[in-house]
Amino acid sequence: MTEQEIIEKVNMVFEESFEKDRALLKPDAHIFTDLGLDSLDIVDLVVALQKSFGIQIREEEKIRDIRTLQDIYQFIIEVKNKKEVSGS
Amino acid sequence: MKRVVITGVGVVSPFGYGTKSLMEGLEENRSAVRYMEGWDVYKGMRSHVGAPSEMKDEKKIPREKRRSMGILSIYAVQAAEQALADAGIAFADIPRLRTGCVVGSTMGSAKSITEVFETMLPDRDLGKLGSSLFFQCMSHTAAANVAQYLELNGYIMSTSAACASALHALGTGYDLIRTGRQDIMLCGGAEELHPTVTGSFDVLFATSSAYNQTPDRTPRPFDRDRDGLVCGDGSGILVLEGLDRALARNARIYAEIVGYSTSGNGAHLSQSNKASMVRCMSDALQEARSLPEDVDYINAHATATLQGDKEEAEAIRELFGDSVPVSSLKGHIGHTLGASGAIELIASLLMMEKSVIYPTRNLENVDPDCRGIMHVMESMPKDILLILKNGFAFGGINATLACRRYDGL
Repeated sequence: MTEQEIIEKVNMVFEESFEKDRALLKPDAHIFTDLGLDSLDIVDLVVALQKSFGIQIREEEKIRDIRTLQDIYQFIIEVKNKKEVSGS
Repeated sequence: MKRVVITGVGVVSPFGYGTKSLMEGLEENRSAVRYMEGWDVYKGMRSHVGAPSEMKDEKKIPREKRRSMGILSIYAVQAAEQALADAGIAFADIPRLRTGCVVGSTMGSAKSITEVFETMLPDRDLGKLGSSLFFQCMSHTAAANVAQYLELNGYIMSTSAACASALHALGTGYDLIRTGRQDIMLCGGAEELHPTVTGSFDVLFATSSAYNQTPDRTPRPFDRDRDGLVCGDGSGILVLEGLDRALARNARIYAEIVGYSTSGNGAHLSQSNKASMVRCMSDALQEARSLPEDVDYINAHATATLQGDKEEAEAIRELFGDSVPVSSLKGHIGHTLGASGAIELIASLLMMEKSVIYPTRNLENVDPDCRGIMHVMESMPKDILLILKNGFAFGGINATLACRRYDGL
């Protein structure tokens, strides 16, 4: 999966699960202050990302550091890379 | 004690959104019951009919508020919003610190509860559950969501008493206003049609199953050929406030709540009991300082079960003889369970306003067990001053509310 495909898939989660307009989905958009997510939404975000990418991230400590969309893109890219490495 | 009046009503019913569609459906004597596609996949499910409300405009509720709402909470919020508007209270003007809501339902969203189990149980995995499912499933979901949506700070309660839930909510709101604890209460009920809900009655052989191919012919309250209830869904919410407050702001007054009674039958969890029904109606009348002959209309609970209709007819006969008109609206809209007390009370109040009593649909031949009371079998013009609304629930719980037209005295 390319980085662009990952970005596209993450954006789809924000459009479908959180009904966010695509125009708002800039990499530096802050998921709390710019996109209006709250603590409940983070639980749903994790569930949606796990489903969308077929990964398990619920226990990942790094989730707590996520603030922007770019943070999510980067986080997923790292998780996917790690998975591919360990898979190979 | 303060006097308590109803100044606003809102409804989502199997006839549609709002009181206009509800009253048109009743006036035209239509049936909202239909064949439920897909229910035949459930082994042992005998009843394939239901009276669903239609979900619409739910996206008008902001996502942040909507995410905690199952279907029944969306209906409740839409009914509450209508009721407030009908009462002439703008969102910005709600006196929030002194306004509460009591909204009852049998349980939380049946669809959401099913989703939780279907998601969690196959793999015994909690990680697939979203954050808001619990808020959709909890027993006080309708009350909590109405309160959050309207940003209320007063008493927030849920009355979970199956088919008596809405009357319990109204009775509780009546007490809170008349004792001066709250200034405005939004009260009523909500329920959600789902195969698991109809199934809970079906396993007890309490549902209608002989009319799956002719759904408009069932349910048949008090009729010789009745064979059980048909579940429906929706919500009814009423605005209650003190008479002094309503007069001060020149509000439209639908009626004054003058009596309320609820009681356990002390006898059986699922079987209705005539003696306790008589006591319930008598107590409500006594609180209303009225005699049986003062009552102009009884809106019966009558769901079209064999035993329930018989017991209610006998109870009414014992107290009122055949002198008071009686009808059940479940032949039109099915049994909306936790919402029924509110939806049917709203219809009754509007009948009071129009001076007409709508008949029991599908009542063609009164069952010998249900004779001796004045069944309304076609629309009856009638000046209505005092009505009784009955609700008798699983759990052996009875409730009766008495409402009197407010004529300025």
